[in-house]
Amino acid sequence: MQRRTFLDALLGAAAATALSPLLAEARPGVPTRQPTRSIRYLRPPGARPEEEFLAHCIHCGQCGEICPNRCIQYFGHENGLRSLDTPYIVPREQACILCMKCGEVCPTDAIQPVARELAPILGKVRMGRARIDERLCLSYQGKTCGVCYRACPLQDVAIRVGRLEQPRVLKDCVGCGLCERSCIQIPQAIRIIPDYG
Amino acid sequence: MGTPKPFFLWRHLNKLRWLSLSIVFAMLVALPFMHVYQTFTAAHAYDLLAPSEKQLYDVMETLTAVFTEDPAEDLDAIKGNTWSGSFFGLQLSDPLAVAGQMAAGLKVYAPFLLTALIPVLFTLLLGRFFCGWICPATLLYELNTNVSTWLSRLGFKVGNRHFDRRLKYAVLGVGLLLSAATGSVLMAAIYPPAIVGRELYYAFALGGFGAGTLFFVGTLLFDTLVARRGFCRYVCPGGALYSLLGRYRLVRIRRIAESCNDCAKCNAVCEFGLDPLRDHFGQECNNCTACIAVCPTQAMTFVLRPTDIPEQGPGHLGKQYLRAHSEKGSIDAAP
Repeated sequence: MQRRTFLDALLGAAAATALSPLLAEARPGVPTRQPTRSIRYLRPPGARPEEEFLAHCIHCGQCGEICPNRCIQYFGHENGLRSLDTPYIVPREQACILCMKCGEVCPTDAIQPVARELAPILGKVRMGRARIDERLCLSYQGKTCGVCYRACPLQDVAIRVGRLEQPRVLKDCVGCGLCERSCIQIPQAIRIIPDYG
Repeated sequence: MGTPKPFFLWRHLNKLRWLSLSIVFAMLVALPFMHVYQTFTAAHAYDLLAPSEKQLYDVMETLTAVFTEDPAEDLDAIKGNTWSGSFFGLQLSDPLAVAGQMAAGLKVYAPFLLTALIPVLFTLLLGRFFCGWICPATLLYELNTNVSTWLSRLGFKVGNRHFDRRLKYAVLGVGLLLSAATGSVLMAAIYPPAIVGRELYYAFALGGFGAGTLFFVGTLLFDTLVARRGFCRYVCPGGALYSLLGRYRLVRIRRIAESCNDCAKCNAVCEFGLDPLRDHFGQECNNCTACIAVCPTQAMTFVLRPTDIPEQGPGHLGKQYLRAHSEKGSIDAAP
């Protein structure tokens, strides 16, 4: 473990013992705190809207333990104490392959079970939506690429390519992040904009 | 002698208990490695692994090959930890997880409620047995007690303070209120078995301990430096809930006063600081059977009844002493 993470953990523990900030956090209902997030993360596929998700999740860690792609990570204190030990996905590091096992194993329905078929996935999974930065995308610079399209598990449903493999995101994108994971540009030209509900 | 003898196996239950604790803990250590192994098999990635990962793969393959044909799928059968886990399709959860989730969500989700049914039924029957027989933190806490004993023999000053045991019920109440106020299951952050299960997974599968480990080490230090087994006795919200559920447990330990020689080893060995010598077990006894194992005169046994038997007074040696002295009139024939 790096010193930085260790110090973060130390601070987190100190914060957890001083329970005072908890009282300042208001009950759900008024969506006031959403835009202040600094970390861009996705909840696992099938997760309920953020406030509902936090009320359901018991921080048991089974979703991460069953994930065959090891894409589910857990928050320390960096996203607030309410998110402590809750699952998240950073698609650029490891993206979701939509295997839907986490929803199956979740005991509290924080991640809802979704059948691994096209219609249920399109209907219930809302992790986010991909957005292309045309100034960074190689295909838009005249260098035919198309990697994001080939990485997408929902080709022609979530993403389509046109002339010179120029990608276009369609409205059915569920935000699994495999395109962002596979983008060969640094920084990535396609990103998932999370949807916390 | 007409005095009742306890069934001879009760004395050995304490060993069985250590075995049970060790198995649970070993499983929690093994599960993260099994998961990592699963992801390797799922990715068909053997050739791409680093040497240390190959080693892990080989070891886990040897260990699991007997039980599985397709490790990537079959090993999904056991997942999770004692906080909440699935075991061959059967989902089990800690009652505290259910209580905390109901408080945070302010509504009842029936399928999750049912996952606590089996633990609750066992607790109604056996009391706070989870704390003594299953809790992965208990293994570490009891080993920590032993280490503290050695330290004190070496002349180190070990904490032995006492607080009000009702404190943990307050922690439970405040924890539930805070969960309701913040809409998040906060108790998971301070409940040692949940922490241990999670942190072992973080350490072995995700590459590093998290903040929970520091909290847990803090509780170990508290136990050593302030109060023996202090966290379980005075703070643990889960222990509080189990105690309440087990208040009228059917399976209890009782003292056989006719055999008892008042040596008080039972009181000394009791991790929860209860008073078996005076028949005060109460709702917090976890049926760990350490007092049965330690008793030199076999004066501890099990009894089936929903309440403790009332105080029986001193054992046979104490009674003899009282009799002898009361005849001479030197002391009052107290109970």
